[in-house]
Amino acid sequence: MIKVEGLTRRYGNFTAVDDVSFVCQPGRVTGFLGPNGAGKTTTMRVMVGLTPPSAGRVTIGGHLYHDIPNPGRHVGVLLDASAQHAGRTGREILTIGAQTMGLPESRVDEMLDLVSLDKTEAKRRLRNYSLGMKQRLGIAHALLGDPSVLILDEPANGLDPAGIRWMRGLLKGYADRGGTVCLSSHLLHEVEQIADEMILIGRGKIVASGTKDELLSGTEHKLSLVTALDNELLTKALTAKGFGVTPAGTGLRVETAPVEVGRVAAEQSIVLTDLRSADGGLEELFLSLTEDSQRDVAPQGAPAPAPTEGPQA
Amino acid sequence: MSTTAAPAPMQLDISGTQHVPTSRLARVEFRKALDTRAGRWFIVAILALVILVEVIYALAANDSDKDFQDFLSIAGFVLGYFLPIIIVMLVTSEASQRNGLVTFTLEPKRSRIVVGKFLAGVALAIVVMVVAAVLAVLSTLFGIVTGGSPEWSVDGNLLFNGFVLSNLIGVFIGFAIGMLIMNTAGGIVAYFVYSFILPTAVGILSELSDGFEKVAPWIEFNTAQTPLFSGDYVPSGEEWAQIATTGTIWLIIPLMLGIWRLLRIEFK
Repeated sequence: MIKVEGLTRRYGNFTAVDDVSFVCQPGRVTGFLGPNGAGKTTTMRVMVGLTPPSAGRVTIGGHLYHDIPNPGRHVGVLLDASAQHAGRTGREILTIGAQTMGLPESRVDEMLDLVSLDKTEAKRRLRNYSLGMKQRLGIAHALLGDPSVLILDEPANGLDPAGIRWMRGLLKGYADRGGTVCLSSHLLHEVEQIADEMILIGRGKIVASGTKDELLSGTEHKLSLVTALDNELLTKALTAKGFGVTPAGTGLRVETAPVEVGRVAAEQSIVLTDLRSADGGLEELFLSLTEDSQRDVAPQGAPAPAPTEGPQA
Repeated sequence: MSTTAAPAPMQLDISGTQHVPTSRLARVEFRKALDTRAGRWFIVAILALVILVEVIYALAANDSDKDFQDFLSIAGFVLGYFLPIIIVMLVTSEASQRNGLVTFTLEPKRSRIVVGKFLAGVALAIVVMVVAAVLAVLSTLFGIVTGGSPEWSVDGNLLFNGFVLSNLIGVFIGFAIGMLIMNTAGGIVAYFVYSFILPTAVGILSELSDGFEKVAPWIEFNTAQTPLFSGDYVPSGEEWAQIATTGTIWLIIPLMLGIWRLLRIEFK
């Protein structure tokens, strides 16, 4: 499991990660969700020792990453699928990884099969790969050493819907066998599909965490979208009860919770074809929680003689 | 033993895992120098250049100057110029091609990667030197065709100082520049500034001002190394002192700073 304790990382005056603590449990997929530049990548870089923390620490199964011998055999890492020599073939990239970890060449073929990269694709150079192919290769690379912990930064980025479904199956199976998965994304629907648990981060701080249900339980629904076979009749019934009703598309927008709409429909025996909450949902929660942390102003960088525009790449 | 039979799932059992051996890191780094088109063709190009220069020499030189030793020193001279660039590429690709992200997550103890790269660089230099020596043999045979009657004996000092030592210095110059600049294009430019422009500037200054030619070998590494591959290939005591002094300025200090930088840089 991964344990992040009071992690802070500063760059000059800018605090990329601010006193972040969370745990990724074995047997679960933990999604790390936040807008661009919220500190997800920095946190993950600290996890694998590429960036030293300013304060706090991260342990993986009780060890600092730096202290794990041949770490590829324990922790699978994918930080950036494009961060490979563009002139190497997919197969060569995996071969180098396998050799470093001391694995047989057959492992490379197994991983290529697992991520469905065929023989000709494996012979192509990385610069000719699509983003989706790079991600598959990166996942193959992370899984090479048969690790028990996976750390994946934006792994679904560039995958098509079928690819995302494939990865969901892969990671669920991996977690079900007892593996720990920590993956990040800036896209809610990706994480919603793949992760058991979510950690929402904005501007370097954790704003919420829990399972999808836990996150949603606190929100109140006060708006509904409803469609009935007879919208006119339903409008009358709802207005009679004192609920505000406005037409919306093929249905109605009602200023009350779905349960109240349902009750009215049942009393009047009106057949509904669609009824759902118009507010709330993870999307809204995500946006409201990270609202004040969306970056509308470029962060102040390290003290410099002249002010520079925008963050450095 | 505690009451729990199985290891707690919260703990990662690393007791059975060995460190990646240095020899394996070196082997992987050696492979990385050759497994890209850029790396492979650069080496092929250097060896082709050796052949080209040797052939031109065989055709142009006096028949009396076509000994094996002549061809060997030419091969060593060509290698000396270009071998460091392979090393610059090997080091800087970690940042420029960004594969350092993977390299340093698979072995987070960076000093071990540095050692692996040094060993790989030296091994690569030795392989290329052996091939170049074979090319020198073939060129000497070609020299016979063009009318030479070569002497085959080799001065051990030429072999060691002018060929092996000077090329190994070049390899470590490549490491120093690569680690300091950490950018492929910038590193190659810096290398050419160091190897072409600097000695040329020193040469011009020596022409212009009396006395500068006495100072030059004490401050410019290329100039100081000249005794390694000219004359009797044996630097005098003073010349060794010059090599040591300039070597400290241009090789040891940059190498130390380079290693220091590599150990701390954030690979993005």
